[in-house]
Amino acid sequence: MDDTQRRVDAIRKDRSELENHIIDEYAAGKITRREFVRRGTVVGMSIPLVSFLAAACGGGGGGGETSGAGTTPTATGQVQAGGNIRVALIQPTTEPNPLLVQDEGGAGLLGSTGEFLSFSNEKLELEPRIAESWEPNDDGTVWTFKIRQGVTFHNGSPLVANDVKETFDKLINPDGGSANAQSALGGVLSPGGIEAPDDATVVFNLDAANGNFPTLVSSANYNAIIIPADLDPADWGKTFEGTGPFKLESFTPKVGAKFVRNDAYWGTKANPDSMELKFYDEEGPMILALQGDEVDFVEHFSVSGGKALLNDPNVNVIAVKAATHRELHMRTDKEPFTDKRVRQAIALSIDRQALVDGLWEGQADIGNDSPFAPLYPSTDTSVPQREQNVDQAKQLLADAGMTSFTVELNTWNGFEIPDLAQLVKQYAAAIGVTINLKITDAGTYYGDGVFGKSTWLDSVMGITDYGHRPVPNVYLTAPLSGDPKVGVWNSAHFKNDQYDSLVKQYVAALDIDSQKGVAKQIEELLLDETPIVFPYFYYFLSAAKKNLLNTTSAATGQFDLSKAGFTS
Amino acid sequence: MARFLLTRLGLAAITLFLLSVIVFFGSQVLPGNVARRKLGPFADQAAVDQLNHQLGTDKPLYEQYWNWISGLFHGDLGTSLSYNLPVNQLIGPALVHSLKLAAFAFVMVVPLAILGGVVAALKRDKLTDRVITIGGLSLTVVPEFVTGIILILVFGLWLDLFPVSANAPDGSSILTQLHYLFLPALTLVIVLFGYIARITRAGTIESLDADYTRTAVLKGLPRRTVIRRHVLRNSLLPTIAVIATQTGYLIGGLVVIETLFNYPGMGRLIFTAAQKKDFPLLETGVLIVGIVFLVATLLADLAYSLLNPRIRYATAE
Repeated sequence: MDDTQRRVDAIRKDRSELENHIIDEYAAGKITRREFVRRGTVVGMSIPLVSFLAAACGGGGGGGETSGAGTTPTATGQVQAGGNIRVALIQPTTEPNPLLVQDEGGAGLLGSTGEFLSFSNEKLELEPRIAESWEPNDDGTVWTFKIRQGVTFHNGSPLVANDVKETFDKLINPDGGSANAQSALGGVLSPGGIEAPDDATVVFNLDAANGNFPTLVSSANYNAIIIPADLDPADWGKTFEGTGPFKLESFTPKVGAKFVRNDAYWGTKANPDSMELKFYDEEGPMILALQGDEVDFVEHFSVSGGKALLNDPNVNVIAVKAATHRELHMRTDKEPFTDKRVRQAIALSIDRQALVDGLWEGQADIGNDSPFAPLYPSTDTSVPQREQNVDQAKQLLADAGMTSFTVELNTWNGFEIPDLAQLVKQYAAAIGVTINLKITDAGTYYGDGVFGKSTWLDSVMGITDYGHRPVPNVYLTAPLSGDPKVGVWNSAHFKNDQYDSLVKQYVAALDIDSQKGVAKQIEELLLDETPIVFPYFYYFLSAAKKNLLNTTSAATGQFDLSKAGFTS
Repeated sequence: MARFLLTRLGLAAITLFLLSVIVFFGSQVLPGNVARRKLGPFADQAAVDQLNHQLGTDKPLYEQYWNWISGLFHGDLGTSLSYNLPVNQLIGPALVHSLKLAAFAFVMVVPLAILGGVVAALKRDKLTDRVITIGGLSLTVVPEFVTGIILILVFGLWLDLFPVSANAPDGSSILTQLHYLFLPALTLVIVLFGYIARITRAGTIESLDADYTRTAVLKGLPRRTVIRRHVLRNSLLPTIAVIATQTGYLIGGLVVIETLFNYPGMGRLIFTAAQKKDFPLLETGVLIVGIVFLVATLLADLAYSLLNPRIRYATAE
């Protein structure tokens, strides 16, 4: 036995059953190296450790890497020390309050000074931050996080485990917690489930086994910045109290904020002297500001609004694969969509590649009518892709006795959605279906967000936008579950006991093999039932001036500029 | 004159009261509610109900209105529902920004448009007249976001003469601030020039054709004196009224220009307040724009009466 093997054995002796299972899967070539790194970091192995094991255990198999990072990685290189980085950020829609933030602009503010237990990077790996390490019990129902010692808030007070406990207690508090954070943690972690036995340990006792729990409490859940236990989240906007590499210098609502380097930061100090956020109401002025050299970094832009940047030689466009998508729902309990053949016909009428090329200039992955985006490692890509087939669609309609009918498609006027609606209308016309578009503002479409008071949830056909999630759990449950307590966004009114049972199995599955096995069944079931068309999953695009390197973006809308700097 | 002022102030108070009622109840017609806007479409209904309760937006409308207006009389403008900040902290800086932009645009457009209108009238039906009237009108009908984008592309990006954003860094000198404000102000000049010039031209032509002008010419007064004393004095009356009515637009209606140049003025503030049903902010914002508008029209009336003795005497009677 050589030294390397001895070290591997020694390491494996101290790891949990789940961690050893992942190592076995990698060694047996069942998962790729990239997937091994991602899964390893999620279950609590450090990046150096997982890198060592990846090299030592070989395996990994080549090819098949459907998951992972952006198509255009961030530009890296040698940069000068110091400097002020000016960032264009879309206007936050709420006050800066960790409980209320529910949009990219707000998430950008929280992440500017705050830190998470871990940071979910563009490769969906978890980089330790406030948590030094984490591990599950044998069945994944209890997760123990070791809290980094020597971390201080910007006000000088030390961060201890109780701050973490209190942060999450506030987020999941059913009376006034964070609606956004609860959309990820609801049914996973309940009040009273968090303990802080000592200053360096936090234990999460889950409602049920969950193999993706560390992701749910990482930066992917952007409300979950750790704040002092005694700070009222409503007052957070006064000081932006956090532990991050930048601290607040000034904040002007509606205008912007300035942050300076935190010289007491526990880790590598920020390279820039300062970071200045400028808020914009619209995408166009952000892009003009970048081209006019008034900002150095645009946190997010769309293909439709920012085509000019895609070919701009003075700009680096950073594309990160994401699960952000649109859902075209068809109410399974109302005519004309009670017959699944009619729903399948609509799905078959659509030319997805044309949508990806036309609406996204290729900056998107094609969807296969399930929430399993190609990005997710658990997605089974062996399930045949649904392609446009007008003849088959017409035949299905004829079989269903619905050769021509008229239906209203509701949606709202934002992003590329009206264009998508128009294209769906054209595709449907080719198979004899007349779609009348009803496009309103977002407030009218979403209404009160509850059944009976929302066009989104009550309309026979509609298009809804969904933001990125690092794991598909929420997409699988809220918009598709037949359980009224869980399927609170089930606009298709889809009810299928087999589906609900499969999703429960998927969520509880701890290893990638089991997840993939269930995912395949879910994908096939949804492809057959087609309550929702998932036409594409589009990438998250950021842009930086050519001389700004080492920026990091995540598909949740967060960015890390602590290592960034200018070349000249 | 005192009676005139008192009457105008009384009417202004009634106008502002009606404005506040219309804005308040009008904003209630918008779909959704405050907490839903704050928490997002995917938030749980119980959380939405609770936040509405905390904010007091679940109270009857008349009670919400009364709480706001009674606070106003005690000098309390209320707290913004969407920003959780005293309304004055949001309105104050935005109003200053809007006043700066409006003033700069006025300083450029008023003399330019009056000059253009008078020259067009004096060169009536000649090429100069055609260029000023048709050119001005053509520019006025171009949407302001088109004008703004062209100016940004030409002067901001290609020639690199002016910043593409209008908000100068904190602590900038007056000159720097004007440098930043130039492109949005120029956009406004282009939008307003044709309209004001056309009104001035019409007034000037009317005055030029009037008997008193003919008499002055026949008296042998120099042309310059005739224009200054007899023509301009009368021709500017409708122009002043038009300029005064533009103040409301310039202070509170520049949503597109403020968005395009990323300028934190009153227009954007009021617009987002309406979107979020943040009625304390919306109400106060609209009232302030209303007050500015009423003050401007009052000043216009005063200027009117100074220029036109008939009005002055009628008021005095």
